[in-house]
Amino acid sequence: MNKEINKFLCPYCGDTLDSADALKSHVFKAHKGRSLPGPVGRIRLFINRAEHVFQVEPNWTLYYLIHDKLGLTGAKQFCDRGACGSCTMIVDGKPVLSCMMLAIECDGKSVETVEGIAAEGHPLIESYVNNHAMQCGYCTPGFVVTSKALLDHNPNPSEEEIVEALSGNLCRCSTYPQHPIAVREAAEKMKAAKK
Amino acid sequence: MKTFKHFNAYSIDEAVSLMGRYGERACIIAGGTDLLGKMKDAILPAYPEALVNIKTIPGLSYIKEDGSMLKIGALTTLSEIAHSSLVRSKALALAQAACRTASPHLRNMGTIGGNLCQDIRCWYYRNQNNRFSCLRKKGGRCYAIKGDNRYHSIFGGSVSGGCFAVHPSDTAPALIALDAKIKTSSRTIDAENFFEVKPVKTTVLKADEIVTEIQIPAPSGTTRSAFLKFALRKSIDFPIVNCAAMITFKDDSITGARICLNAVHVIPYRTVQAEQIITGRKIDEALAEEAGKAAVSGAKPLEHNKYMVAVARTLVKRSILTCAGR
Repeated sequence: MNKEINKFLCPYCGDTLDSADALKSHVFKAHKGRSLPGPVGRIRLFINRAEHVFQVEPNWTLYYLIHDKLGLTGAKQFCDRGACGSCTMIVDGKPVLSCMMLAIECDGKSVETVEGIAAEGHPLIESYVNNHAMQCGYCTPGFVVTSKALLDHNPNPSEEEIVEALSGNLCRCSTYPQHPIAVREAAEKMKAAKK
Repeated sequence: MKTFKHFNAYSIDEAVSLMGRYGERACIIAGGTDLLGKMKDAILPAYPEALVNIKTIPGLSYIKEDGSMLKIGALTTLSEIAHSSLVRSKALALAQAACRTASPHLRNMGTIGGNLCQDIRCWYYRNQNNRFSCLRKKGGRCYAIKGDNRYHSIFGGSVSGGCFAVHPSDTAPALIALDAKIKTSSRTIDAENFFEVKPVKTTVLKADEIVTEIQIPAPSGTTRSAFLKFALRKSIDFPIVNCAAMITFKDDSITGARICLNAVHVIPYRTVQAEQIITGRKIDEALAEEAGKAAVSGAKPLEHNKYMVAVARTLVKRSILTCAGR
């Protein structure tokens, strides 16, 4: 049923046509100058700097695509309503909640997940381990990704700025006091590495 | 989530014509942080047949000064507004409101247009799978009247006998206090007249009408504005009560005031009584206190939300004093 719903649907006005040819001539006639529609739901994403092309359904969230379909299981689903931060990914440089974004609307965007942050050897990973900024660990990827986005645009954040940036991430084990310490340590390491 | 048709609109006209075709069977999606939650919980009386994405419309995200107006595109995110030095200098209350909305992540996603058009937050209305067929879903009654109403209206209900769900927006009271106008695809509406309570509806917008711009008149040199919010947590939470004020001073006296509370009524609640009391008088703590009392003089709290009257009274008082720099 999912496959059928968008069949030969004009993406500009919503007319439903009987065949691909009918759709072509409809677009040519009614929407002069517009490009002929490609496959519905074909998107291109740059995930951790690698280019991917996906065929997605309209109701897939970015989280579902990357976690369930692509298999990058670092981001976690907890509340699934945009209230906890554990599914955080960096999209076009900003930390956002992947459970509340439709994959079909992310065409052309670049996405960073916790896997990419670990692969590039970011000092945050080590400083999170050293400072024991986790207990059960379920929320940790969300915290790490949010902290990475903070350090990207503010390499020397104050404790207050760290607390503010992480205020959308929940941790039921209450590891909160450790996070500013871990992020500060990573910031110091990055500063030292630059010298 | 069940599936739906998905359209990317590339111009306002295209979005309007798509919405014209589907009417109430389609929803507009911008940031999506409110809509996707509603679709996941399946609380819409009719699940949308199509979504029209307006994020793909170019040129709807901007903050600019145009003559004596501050203009903000409908797709501008709340974090862009919160961090804009222009908004901070011309419409401080709005920057403060955007800054206190939801969490940093949600502010990166949510837009100012969506924050105004968001749906109500009532745990009966939002209960999964339409478990409570309430007035806002064209059902029989408001479950909050006899149920747990600790976060509901203290100024009475609306919609045929009373929906008591409050409007949860933080930016709405700020825009009303700042005397903003909301430009849509077909008209310009005063922020104050933008909100309306109807089944499955919180604004006066027609099905094929789209918010395109927010216009805020430049304040005079002696005008100050402020926004205060009371919520259980500093981040993520919706307001229990919030309050925005814009006050014009001449020396120590007040020459003009606009004060608006939200999350206390089915739509943002402008406290005209408080405005009248302070206008033309010299500001001091006793006067602010008096204004706070006047603001809640019409309150008719329910069984579990009497505390909200005290919160609203105090926020009105504090917002006046904040504008006065005390």
